[in-house]
Amino acid sequence: MSVYESGKNIISLYYALMKAVQVYGLNNEVVQKAAKRFSSYINSLFNIYPRITLVRYRDYIFFNKQRLRFEIDGYASIQFVHDKLKKSNIKSLTLSPGIDKDEIITFASIFKEEQEIFLKKFAEKNLDHIEIEFSTGEEELPDFLQDGERIRKTYFSALSTTRNLMHNLRAKKPVDIRSSKHIVYSLIDSLFQDEFGLLALTALKNFDEYTYNHSLNVGILSLALGQRIGLNKNDLVKLGTSGILHDVGKVIIPKELIYKSQKLTDEEWETLKQHSYYGVKQILKIHGLDEIALTSMIVAYQHHWNYDGTGYPAHRQNQKPILFSKIVRICDSYDAMTTPRTYVPIPYLPHLALQVLWSKRNVFFDPILVKIFTQLLGQYPIESCLELNNGEIGLVVRQNQINSALPIIKIVVNKDEKKIDGKMIDLSVQKELKIVRAIYLQKYGINPASYFVQDFKGLKRADKKYKRSY
Amino acid sequence: MEKGVGDIIKSLVKTVKAIQMYGIHHPSAKNCYVPFYEKLTDFFRNDSELNFHIEQFSILHADEIIYEEKEKESSIAFRLFRDGIRNINFTEGLEFDELLLFLETISRISREQDIALNLWEHDFTHIKFYVVEETEQILNYRIPETPIQKIDYDANINRIINKEKIDSKASMDPNLGIEEFNNLKTEISSAKKISTIPLAVNTLINILKTKKSQEIIDSLIELLTLCVDDNDFYNVRRIVHALKQYSNVNPVAKFEDETTIIGFKNMVNTSSKNIFDEFISFIRFFSKESIPHFIKLMVYVKRKNRLLSLRSRMVNIAQNDPTPFLDCLNSKDASILINAIALLGLMKYKDTLTLLQPLMFHSNPLVRIEIITALKNLGHAATIAKFLDDGNNDVRIKALQTLTEIRYPRIYDNLLQRIKSKGFRNLEFTEQKEYFNCLVASDGKGIIKHLKKILFKWLLFGRKKYSIMRKLAAIALANISNTETLEILLHGAKKRNKDIKSACEMALKQK
Repeated sequence: MSVYESGKNIISLYYALMKAVQVYGLNNEVVQKAAKRFSSYINSLFNIYPRITLVRYRDYIFFNKQRLRFEIDGYASIQFVHDKLKKSNIKSLTLSPGIDKDEIITFASIFKEEQEIFLKKFAEKNLDHIEIEFSTGEEELPDFLQDGERIRKTYFSALSTTRNLMHNLRAKKPVDIRSSKHIVYSLIDSLFQDEFGLLALTALKNFDEYTYNHSLNVGILSLALGQRIGLNKNDLVKLGTSGILHDVGKVIIPKELIYKSQKLTDEEWETLKQHSYYGVKQILKIHGLDEIALTSMIVAYQHHWNYDGTGYPAHRQNQKPILFSKIVRICDSYDAMTTPRTYVPIPYLPHLALQVLWSKRNVFFDPILVKIFTQLLGQYPIESCLELNNGEIGLVVRQNQINSALPIIKIVVNKDEKKIDGKMIDLSVQKELKIVRAIYLQKYGINPASYFVQDFKGLKRADKKYKRSY
Repeated sequence: MEKGVGDIIKSLVKTVKAIQMYGIHHPSAKNCYVPFYEKLTDFFRNDSELNFHIEQFSILHADEIIYEEKEKESSIAFRLFRDGIRNINFTEGLEFDELLLFLETISRISREQDIALNLWEHDFTHIKFYVVEETEQILNYRIPETPIQKIDYDANINRIINKEKIDSKASMDPNLGIEEFNNLKTEISSAKKISTIPLAVNTLINILKTKKSQEIIDSLIELLTLCVDDNDFYNVRRIVHALKQYSNVNPVAKFEDETTIIGFKNMVNTSSKNIFDEFISFIRFFSKESIPHFIKLMVYVKRKNRLLSLRSRMVNIAQNDPTPFLDCLNSKDASILINAIALLGLMKYKDTLTLLQPLMFHSNPLVRIEIITALKNLGHAATIAKFLDDGNNDVRIKALQTLTEIRYPRIYDNLLQRIKSKGFRNLEFTEQKEYFNCLVASDGKGIIKHLKKILFKWLLFGRKKYSIMRKLAAIALANISNTETLEILLHGAKKRNKDIKSACEMALKQK
């Protein structure tokens, strides 16, 4: 069993125990059984791992250095344990061999208490096999975690590879298949480590290189959504590649048409719609027929098929798009709406784009996937700019797993409308701050992407400030 | 350098070389990787992880070069670096099997193998690695400037809200209900079960309906091979059907060689009736030239009904022209010969008899039996009758059975004469019985009278030996089964002669 699976099991067993402790007395059979199950599972893991450590960092939980992902399956248990660790100000929790059922029950009984009582009782109980490290407010990036620099490098590497791939296809040159697979693998690794760190980079919307940026962003958004619904690594490879290659057919369409600023004529529109078909041809050319290529080809063909059976290329209404096409359909529309293009120079604000997806679920988009996408991005997705009731303007830099309507923001414009390198604020903690509305940061001559890309190190420094106020 | 890391890297290099030279299962390789694992295990007694940084020709640990080899062919560092690996990290808990898989992967010499992809696909628990394609663009990337513009952004927001008819106050509850959750889980699990190939076939066939494209045709032909390899003859048939409108395309051409056709030998015995039926349906697109190969394939078919299906498909392909497989009629391999004769028998070809004539005295009785079957299909009863004098009783029995089946009245007198002859009683019972069956089937004049005569024949000597004749006559009368024969049998059952009585009783009982 993988580290990830073991971690998920531990969280789920611990969740069951905590729920039992909250409802029943400690001697109740339900509690005893739950503790026994947890204890025997932990002890079986000690045959593989010398100790078991849960680390909380930001909104993530790591089990023996492996991040446990918020997937729809097991979402409640991870969220519960994360919430408890956060409220008790615990940074890490380590269990050592020798731990027994009674020690586990004792810990569970005090862990349910409020922070102060918990701290007091934990000190009194002398639990020999449970070690806790509390957060000092100056949380450091755990040494095993990929830092932002590495994620950034992966992103730009992926962007560069996507650009080369498209250039070569346009020039009818041979395409390096290996590197396109490498980038998807690296993106998946980054996503498993820090999905919000990677998602933040999708804020990069390059007007001049729309197709490359857009393709990569759709790939990343699709991977994040795929991960959220619990797809395994192999399926994610197919999905990520499909996301990146979904618009590959556009290399055949004349650039003047793609970047035309006026409204397209009917004839031009028909030509543009051919990109789904050209996509199939291009993918068949570059990949050979492995599973990844076939899936990408299907997605390239179906990514404009709607949930209600309409869309192009023409198909029978009862022909349903595959799951991956439905995911890419959503991510494609979202990224397109939030990206400036020649014919739409001012893009949709991210939360409005999300509302469009929401209002068109059941018609254009799969309603369940739209819900999960909303869960993933939060009510105000990363790169949204929020005007606060104190007059400051904050950029959403991370989602809050506990309350998706109250994200973590970085103040970028002060009350005097001056651009600043402000502090980080968790709106779910600083409750006196209210969101007035979402606005365009471009109004202040600021590209939101600059905070996620160029100033990545700055973001890390700012993070620490945020932790102090935590 | 941390204690032991130097030893570990030396051991790694030695192990990789041994695996490359001897293979992973060789004792010499084992003598290297077992100590290597022990060294790593020792290391993890004090440390929780071991990190290696990879450069073009060297491996570094804690910023110190611990391995360097500039010869590309033999440099482990170079091979890892070439495939984009920049960092490898081992963590405590590393399992022996995991390490073995890792070693096997990085020891592959072939340029075609991408170590990074292979490592990634193994999804190791305790071995992590970092892959990156470093290019100049990564280092030089600059965020585009965002100049302040005189744009009424608020108006833009309102425009979007109006255009998209967004209800800003509508709540967006992203939590899934139980039913939605279950529906999603079902969709994910069914998506995992469905093979991509049929979906890809659908897509390409859909495209082909509106657009003729050589790339799509070529891809469908490529998919055809995958489907054939997967025994997915349903989609094979669909692809071939979709492509048949293109006269310049022969999608099955590449399957028509002997090796490929003989390669279906396991498939023809598949437990799935559907797969076999789809296969039969698919091969209708094959050319006549492939028939000799299919005749060879028939040798492997275990089920009779499937053999018959395959034969009739071949007849269908041959379109009454045996030319493509005439050579098979000269084969020294009896199995091939038999199948070729069978095909000939199923065809409506005017010169079949001429082709079969030279084989009627073939040394192998099975061949002669097959000829009888072929002649039956062609309705050549007179020729079949010639086999009544064959030296092999199986052949004679087959001839009699066939004549019984086709009911050939002209044989009646001949049969009666043979039955009445003295030599008849020396034949085996089975053959004798077939004679009587055939006699009944030929329905000659006075048959009841003759049978009655045989049944009641008065004998002074050899009564015991003759009792079989009485039995056969009684059975034959029972088989005719009319009022007259019934009366004869009832009458016989009352006879004092024990042989007659028992023969009639037995025949009546059977009826």
